[in-house]
This record gives sequence, structure tokens and C-alpha cells, in this order.
Amino acid sequence: MQTLIDSRMTMPDFIAALFDKLDLAGVAAMTKLPSGEKAAYTLLTDKDDIEDCVPYFPAMPANAARAVSKFTRQAPPSKQVAVFLRPCELRALTELVKIKQAAVDNLLIIGFDCAGVFPFSKIRLSDELKLKEYREAVAKGKNCEGIRPVCSACTRFVPEGADIAISFIGRNLDEPLVLSFPSEKGKEAAKTLGLDSSSKVEASPAVDSLAEERGGAEKKLTEKIEEALSGTDGLISVFDKCISCHACSHVCPICYCKNCYFESQTFEYFPESYFTRMREKGALRLPVDRVLFHLGRLSHMGLSCVACGMCEDACPVNIPVSQIFKTAGAKAQALFGYIPGKNRDEPLPLLTFSERELEEFED
Amino acid sequence: MAATNKANMDEVGMNKGIWVEGRAKKKVLEFLNGLLNSKKLEAVLMPATNRTKDSYSWFLMGKDGLLESADPFPPVMTTQGARAVSYLTKKGRAWKKTAVLLRPCELRATIELAKIRQVELENLVLISFDCPGAYPLEKYFNGDQKKLDEAFDACLSKQAELEGARAVCSICNRFTGRGADIEIGLIGGEAKGFWLIPGSREGEDLLEGVTGSASHKLEAREKAISELRAQREEKRKQTLDSFQETVKGPENLMRVLSSCINCHNCSRVCPICFCRECYFDSKALSSEADAMLQRAQRKNGLRLPPDLLLFHLGRMTHMSISCVSCGACEDACPADVPVSMLFSLAGRNTQAVFEYEPGRSLEEAVPYTVFKFEELKDFEAPYIKEYSKEQ
Amino acid sequence: MADQKTEKIIVAFLCNWCTFTAADLAGTSRLKYAPNIRIVKVMCSSRVDPVFILKPLLDGADGVLIGGCAPGDCHYSKGTFYARRKIALAKTLAGSMGLDPRRIRLSWIPASEGPRFARVVNEFTKQIEALGDNPAKREVYI
Ligand code: SF4
Ligand code: SF4
Ligand code: SF4
Ligand code: SF4
Ligand code: SF4
Ligand code: SF4
Ligand code: FES
Repeated sequence: MQTLIDSRMTMPDFIAALFDKLDLAGVAAMTKLPSGEKAAYTLLTDKDDIEDCVPYFPAMPANAARAVSKFTRQAPPSKQVAVFLRPCELRALTELVKIKQAAVDNLLIIGFDCAGVFPFSKIRLSDELKLKEYREAVAKGKNCEGIRPVCSACTRFVPEGADIAISFIGRNLDEPLVLSFPSEKGKEAAKTLGLDSSSKVEASPAVDSLAEERGGAEKKLTEKIEEALSGTDGLISVFDKCISCHACSHVCPICYCKNCYFESQTFEYFPESYFTRMREKGALRLPVDRVLFHLGRLSHMGLSCVACGMCEDACPVNIPVSQIFKTAGAKAQALFGYIPGKNRDEPLPLLTFSERELEEFED
Repeated sequence: MAATNKANMDEVGMNKGIWVEGRAKKKVLEFLNGLLNSKKLEAVLMPATNRTKDSYSWFLMGKDGLLESADPFPPVMTTQGARAVSYLTKKGRAWKKTAVLLRPCELRATIELAKIRQVELENLVLISFDCPGAYPLEKYFNGDQKKLDEAFDACLSKQAELEGARAVCSICNRFTGRGADIEIGLIGGEAKGFWLIPGSREGEDLLEGVTGSASHKLEAREKAISELRAQREEKRKQTLDSFQETVKGPENLMRVLSSCINCHNCSRVCPICFCRECYFDSKALSSEADAMLQRAQRKNGLRLPPDLLLFHLGRMTHMSISCVSCGACEDACPADVPVSMLFSLAGRNTQAVFEYEPGRSLEEAVPYTVFKFEELKDFEAPYIKEYSKEQ
Repeated sequence: MADQKTEKIIVAFLCNWCTFTAADLAGTSRLKYAPNIRIVKVMCSSRVDPVFILKPLLDGADGVLIGGCAPGDCHYSKGTFYARRKIALAKTLAGSMGLDPRRIRLSWIPASEGPRFARVVNEFTKQIEALGDNPAKREVYI
């Protein structure tokens, strides 16, 4: 457990202090959009614009790891930029760093406990009632009604690998921030911000009660998905409505490929192939490889799936994609004792091996 | 295949429809079955319900595989039919004579794709019908499907507006299957029957031997169609004009796009956006962090991932001239952006410049690929004036 | 449910240096083995991507066999160890997604062991026959 301190700063003060004392080039966080009632992940360079920052706003229109990847992949910033990330976004970023799709040089990563997000089409800045309920749920350490299904079953809601972590569950959102500084970079920032000798704060018991509730929900979710996916019939039924739009992979932070394998020529066939296959079965459903796409995608990235819920939110036909990927991903991860996003220096399971292992899979 | 070949169309009289009595869906399936059994056709590509019967999908079906659940008139558009045709023929012509059942907008998109060689029409027989519109996917999946199906069926033969249809469907002015090898005429049939109308030699051949009574009522259909078309033209104009006001200026446009999550799913389901690797996903648009910081500074903030507006406007420049207003993009948009309205508007404006109508005729080249020496003077005049001033 | 009526099809990915040679040897030594396998030669067992395994299973093949050199003897030295991880992943995913992981088998068969190759093929064929037809085989809705 990291030492928690009272920063005596509210969120706006904190961001202002970051700009002033750390000489930041910018901040990236959820920010109110000038038009409309929505917020989006936005890069801000001017201290005067930060009043529109709403880092906690419970929506994830894009997994911010994808945004950070776009921002840093070509070349990271030459001056420090602070990025606010939810725990699953931070884990996704860590996975992306491993496959060289993002860099964390000159990023000051600010993580915060996560009480979940609503499906992005279900929340607006003006939904005061919903937001009030959300704040209450945060203070009590309970799941708020209506958040994404994978959020209510997320047990890794405390940031891993942040430079500065905001303790958030069990607290009032307008109160001064309770911070910890898990990394060297964070500790240095604490010094510069004059927070290294601030008074200590107790961990909130609400964190544990939320963890318990979520653990139960996770178990239920897993059982539900396992039951739905028992047997080939289940597999077909679960994906029966899928229109092969691949939105799920295009919003997934881990599916970074510009030219996805499943959209490549490999899966385009000559007419002969279609007609031959039609003759074998009587009828052939088009597009083909619809179900294969999901299994194949799982084999590509399931080991790194951080169960963020983006894919499910983006699916136009309501397939519980992220619940499926969370469940199947967890089993694959368990095979190698791998936890995606936990440790930047841990190699991806398929890129390493030990000579004596998995002997039950061979003969 | 030659349906949209103009010369061919003139030869084939427009009023040769065969009147078939009975429920259109059943009769059309019988008709197709007959063609498959007599080997005039080897396969049919058309929608059928999926396994759980709560949605539709495309199936390539042979003589022994014509599914009972095949439906020439599905109430939703899950995959745009032109895409299905493209899957089948992108790499070469269909192996066997294959009939394809398409909505009018799917037919038009198919023709656009044939022009840019993403579809090969040889060996295909295109069949289309008077389309009452389609429900938004979301509405169909979350609503009472039985009721919606019934309402849809009722609209098939009566000349009624489909309640709850997609926004672009309710302003669709190209709702008949004209241009297909065989047109299924439903409007004016008054639920008693329908016409099978050949649109090409090929269509005529297939209809040979189909018995039906004389087509004396075809005029009634023509009349009903022109009435409905006039209504729709008016509604289309009004709706698009008022939408144009809604999106006028960058701020208003950004407001309409404020919920857009920049996922590009609209382009991935669009029949016209065929590119395997979209320009807007390519490296051309990636830049270094410092450059993005500069952009953020200039604009008081940069939304990430960036280039949202560029994507939409750029996509418009790529394909709005061929946009057939099919609504697939809006159906697939997870963020409820009125994206097909936006593209229909853009399409109307760009198509007007070249007097181009996507999908009208196979022989009409995509405007980008041709030019005349003397044209579009309005667009260059300001430049010439400026230039002469300087001289 | 055992279904003897249709011939079971097993797609076999065999490494060029060992198992493919073993298969060849089995052939030239006139060892009898079940005719159900369709061999795809790969340069190393580690070339077998999980998608190579999942695709035939979804398209209706009844089993997938992957054959490579004995661990430690891989022509490219470490291939078998990577292969084992990939196949463990494929089996685990298949199991989580409603496919039967028993339809996937990984066997190390050195070049000189023709008889072992014949035995593995016979054994696996028997096992697949006991499992019956892959339900995906005639499934039009997949
Ligand atoms: S598969 Fe879905 S839940 Fe998993 S990381 Fe990707 S978007 Fe998130
Ligand atoms: S499914 Fe595979 S190839 Fe496609 S984007 Fe994801 S990781 Fe890349
Ligand atoms: S987003 Fe939904 S419909 Fe599209 S490919 Fe993924 S699961 Fe299928
Ligand atoms: S846009 Fe027109 S042609 Fe297309 S489905 Fe709607 S009504 Fe039919
Ligand atoms: S832009 Fe939208 S409405 Fe236009 S053709 Fe593409 S999918 Fe259809
Ligand atoms: S309009 Fe909709 S589908 Fe298109 S990029 Fe935006 S959110 Fe995605
Ligand atoms: S070469 Fe045979 S397994 Fe690698």
C-alpha cells in the first residue's frame, strides 16, 4: 500500500499547480466540448483552458491509451505532458508500450481509482441526476446503476503503474485530492509540488467493500458468459447478430494494427471458393469468417485484454463483446500467470517461454 | 447484367410486367426456386434470417439450400447488399449464374462499385423491388420485432409510409428497383399481388414461362410511384435544407459531431468506402507529439484521437459523389451521429455539380474519372479574376 | 456421439524437418495409418499461428494435428517452446469459446520415428471418431 497524503488541493488547483510548478507542455484529460453536451479526451496546452477539464467524467468515448498511442507513437513529446488515465487505460498503455505502440518518455501519468463509466451514448454533461447518483456511489464504495457491465465486474480499479495516483473511492469528489506517488518520477513531482511532507491520510474502507462487490459481480459475469458459450451452438448464437463491422477491434486499445489481418487479402477468396463451399453446405453465410474473426482476434490480443469495455460500447448490434473477451482473456492469461498492464518489464507471454512448462498440452 | 446498360433498357419495354397474384414474399421464393430447379440459375444471393431469428444476414444458396427463412424484403439492412456482392465477386466474376436480391439503394451502390471494379457484374442477375424503407438496427433489436415485422409487411404492398423507418428512408426518392434485370413491383398491387418486370434481355429470358395475367394495371403502379416520388422529393428537399442549416459553419458542424467517437465504423460499413486500408487510418495522418502540442496550442485544445473533422470532411471528398443515401453508416454508428443525413446532404450538393446520380447507369462514369475542357467555369472564375487583376 | 458415416477430416501441420520427414518415412516403410489426414507442410511448428488451427475447426474439419521436432531438437532451436505456448493458447481459447479442445493435438515426432507418426495418426483418428462429427461441419449459420 502506498502512503496516501492530503494534497490540500482540489482538482482544478491540482492541475493548475502541475502547470505552474512542473513546467508542463500540456495536460490530456477528459474535457467538456465547446459545443454539445459531451466531453472528449483532449490535449490542452494553456492553463486558462483547464476549467473545462473533467477528468472524472464517467464516460470513455475512446480508450485514452489509444489516444496516448497516437500522441506518442511517432515521437514522444520533448517536454513533460501530464496524462490522466483510468486504470484500464493505464494498463492498456502499458501493454502498448511493450509492443512499441506508445512511449511514456516525458509523460507524467496520473491515475485515479475508477468507479466505472457509463456506456458513452448513455451519459451527458447535463445528466445531473445520474451524475449525482454516481458521486454518491463513489463516496460509498458501491457500484453505480447503469455503468458498463465490465466496469461493475472490474476488480482492478486501483491504478497500477501511475506516477501520481489519486485515491478516489470512498471520498467526496469536490474535496481536496488524496494522492500517492508510486514511482520515482512521481516522488520527484511531489517534491516539486511541495507535497512531500504533507499529512498522511488513512486508506478508505470503501475500497475493500467495492472490491468485494465487484468480485462477486465478476464471478457472476464469468458464469453467465461460460454458460452462453458452452458448445458450438452457444458460440454461433452469441455471435449470430454480428455484422462483421470490426468496430470492436477498431476501438480496442490493444488492436493497434493499421492493417488488420482479418481485413487483409488473406481472407478474400475467389468466387470458386464461395461456390464450392456453398455446394458443400447447401447455403453459405456472407461475410464468411465472421466468427473466426472473434476467435482469431482473441488469439492475437486476448492475453493483453484489459477488459475496458470499449468494444462492447462500440458494437452496433449489442453483442457483449467485452464480457466475452474479459472472460476468455482471463482464462488465457491464467494459463501463463500473466496480468496485462501490471508490469511494463514483463514480456508478453507469446514472446517468451520456459523449457519445462505446459506439458499437459503436448505429447 | 445488362440492366443498367441504357441501350438495352430502351429495347425492353417498360410495360411488360407480369402480374402475379398472391403474397409477394412466398411467390418470389417460388419463382426463384423454379429458376434454380430448371437450372436457369445456379445460385441466389439474398438475405435470410439468422439462426436465432432476430436478425438477417446474407446467404449464397444453391438448389438444395434455399433457406425457408430467405426473405427478399427484410425489414432491416444489416450488411449493405453491395458489400455482399463485392465479397463474392471482388476477385473475379461469379462462377455460376447467380441472382442477387437487392434493395434499390443496394442496387445503386452495386453499380457504383462495378464502376470502380469492386464488383464484377457478369453472371449476376440483379433483382430489386419497391422498398418501403428499413428500420434502424437499434430500434429493431430493442423493439417488439413481431409488431415491427407486421407493420413492415403491411407497408410492402400498400403505399403507406413505414412508421419508424430510418431517417434517410423516409426521404428516399429512389425507392423502386428500376435499373435491375428484374424489378419486383409492389406499389399499386394493393396487397393482392405484384408485378415481375424485366429490365433487360436477361431479365426477360428468366421471366419466360412465368405465367401471370396481363399487365393492364401497370399504369396504376406508375401513377402511384410518381405521386409518392413527388412527395418524397419535396420532403427530401425540405429535410436536407433544414439539416444544412443545422450544420452550417464549423461550430454547428462540430456540435452535430460532438458525440462522434472517431471510430470510423461509418466508413467501414459504407458500401462505397471500399478501401482495405483507409487513408484516414494511414500513416499519412500520424504526427509527432510536439506537432500535436503545437496544434493544441493554436486551437486551445486538441481532441484525441485527432483529425475527427478531417476524417468526415475527407471521406466526403472521397465518396459523397457516389453516396447512395443507404443509411448503413448511421445504423452502424455507436454514437447516434446523424451521419447518413450528413453524407446525403454532402452527396446532394456534390452530385448536383456534375449532374451525377450514383447508380443511375453503369455507363455514366464517376465524375472524378472524366472531364470536359469547357466546364465548371463558376469554380474557376474567382481565380481568373484575381489573376487578371494582378497582371 | 460417434458418427461413422462420414469420413473424419484431420488437418495436420507438420514441421518440414522432423514430423513431415517422419510421415514420409512412414509412407516409404509402408506403415499403415488412417487416411484421414490432410498434411500442410510448415517450416517449423512455431509457424502455426492459432488462427491456422481455429479456421479449419470453424470451417468443419474434425481435428487439427500439429507435429514438430522433439523439444530441444527444433531446427531453429527454440521453435517448439514457442509453438507449445501458442497451441496451449489455441486450446484454451477454443475451450472458452465453445469448441472442443480435444480436437487439437500437439505431438513431437522426430524425423526417424515413422512408426510413432503412424501411431499418433491412428490414435488421434480414433479419438476424433469417438468425438463424432465437428458440429460446425454442416452449420450454415456459422
Ligand atoms: S477486447 Fe474489448 S475489453 Fe478487451 S481491451 Fe479490447 S476493447 Fe477493451
Ligand atoms: S485482430 Fe489482430 S490483426 Fe486485427 S487489429 Fe487486432 S491484433 Fe491486429
Ligand atoms: S462490433 Fe459487434 S457487430 Fe461489429 S464486428 Fe464486433 S461484434 Fe460484430
Ligand atoms: S434508402 Fe431508400 S432504397 Fe434504401 S432502404 Fe431506404 S427506402 Fe430503401
Ligand atoms: S455514406 Fe452512408 S449513406 Fe452514403 S453510401 Fe455510405 S453508408 Fe450509405
Ligand atoms: S460518425 Fe459514428 S461511426 Fe462515424 S466515426 Fe463518428 S462515432 Fe464512429
Ligand atoms: S523445425 Fe521442427 S519444430 Fe521447429
